[in-house]
Amino acid sequence: MIEFQRLSKRYSDVKALDDVSFTVPAGSVTGFLGPNGAGKSTAMRILAGLSRPTSGSATVLGRPYAGLERPGYEVGTLLDASAQHPGRSGREVLTLGAMMLGLPRSRVDDVLELVGLTGKEGRRAVGGYSLGMRQRLGIGHALLGRPRALVLDEPANGLDPQGIHWMRGLLRDLADSGCAVLLSSHLLHEVEQVADRIVMIGRGRLLAQGTPAELGQGRGLEQTFLELTAAADRSLA
Amino acid sequence: MNTRRIPFPTLLRVETRKLFDTRGSKIISGVLVALAVGAVVGRGVVSGPELHTVAGTAGIVFGILLPVLAILTVTGEWSHRTALTTFTLEPRRGRVMAAKCLPPLVASVAACAFAMLVAVPVTAAVAAAQGVPADWRVAPLSLAGWTATTVLLTAQGLALGTVLMNAPAAIVICLSSTVIWSVVGRLGSAGETAMEWLDLNTATIPLVNGDMTGGDAARLAVSALAWIVLPMAAGMVRTMRREVG
Repeated sequence: MIEFQRLSKRYSDVKALDDVSFTVPAGSVTGFLGPNGAGKSTAMRILAGLSRPTSGSATVLGRPYAGLERPGYEVGTLLDASAQHPGRSGREVLTLGAMMLGLPRSRVDDVLELVGLTGKEGRRAVGGYSLGMRQRLGIGHALLGRPRALVLDEPANGLDPQGIHWMRGLLRDLADSGCAVLLSSHLLHEVEQVADRIVMIGRGRLLAQGTPAELGQGRGLEQTFLELTAAADRSLA
Repeated sequence: MNTRRIPFPTLLRVETRKLFDTRGSKIISGVLVALAVGAVVGRGVVSGPELHTVAGTAGIVFGILLPVLAILTVTGEWSHRTALTTFTLEPRRGRVMAAKCLPPLVASVAACAFAMLVAVPVTAAVAAAQGVPADWRVAPLSLAGWTATTVLLTAQGLALGTVLMNAPAAIVICLSSTVIWSVVGRLGSAGETAMEWLDLNTATIPLVNGDMTGGDAARLAVSALAWIVLPMAAGMVRTMRREVG
């Protein structure tokens, strides 16, 4: 389970996050939806202990990230698929992760296969990867330690339609086996087909949360999303 | 499931591996070895079979390239934004930084030992080829001082890289400091005093010569404080506090 409690983050005069609270239950996929710059990445980075909140807190399995002894076993994260050393091979990226987690090298092969990277692709330098391949690599890296929670920031970016279809199936399976999955996107249709629950944010504020059916209210999820984000923009204009 | 924190030796193995697992780092390591061997052989051919002189020539290569390697090691996570994954797997950033700093320091000692090992056959070969007796005399104190100097220059690279978090800036400062100090040293007696107390290269000369006095030690301590201890301390604080994005 992942929990955000009254999370706020200020950068000098900008409120990146303003009193955001929501929960990602175990065994579910929660879609974190909002326009670019809404605060999704900020919230995820605070959760992963990479950024400090101004107030409030974020916890994984009831504990702050910094309190996890070996976080790779508890929560898998993909915060930016492009943040890789271009001269390192995909296999090597996974090998370094496996070493840090104390996992056998066979886990690297398993993960490469799981995310659909061939042995040849794994040996290539990441600098030559397409964004879709980097996303697959990043998802594989997040899954190395078989974590009980998964945090993915815009994992569908750069994936082709087959890739998106594959990812949906993977996340569904993980959630069904008890994993708490949080994935962010700025594209509604990427989220609504896989998410059990949707959390909408705009301008750093929580706009709405619920199941896709609840949020759609008969007029469609897209209409709700557009109206809420437009209202958030107006209130700050 | 192993949920204890990552053992330090594991972090050390991972960070050592990162020194050699990219194209760039393989190239710089290869260049380092090739230039060191080249310097030893070249000096042997030109200056004659004197072990101490021949081995010491590699120090010029080490004094420039090992600090660069050190800088690339500690700045790599920021330049390639891999801090995002590294500090997510080990949120205790100080442990990661410690694991990054040790391998270049050990490599500096190993490099000096390697230069000695290469210099022995080179000296013997040059002596045989030129038909002159080889000079095997080595001053142990000077040899230790030379190794210590190499380690200190590498530590300076680590400290500057850690505080600046930017490889080009740290490399420029490291490499241009010799030029800057040689200018400062010519700016009257005040400039000369500043150079004696604050230039790490000048302060380590007695160490290499193996004739250190109490005053020399004080000057070395002050310049090491200015170029290693203080920037490293500031750099660790910056690393702990920095928001990773």
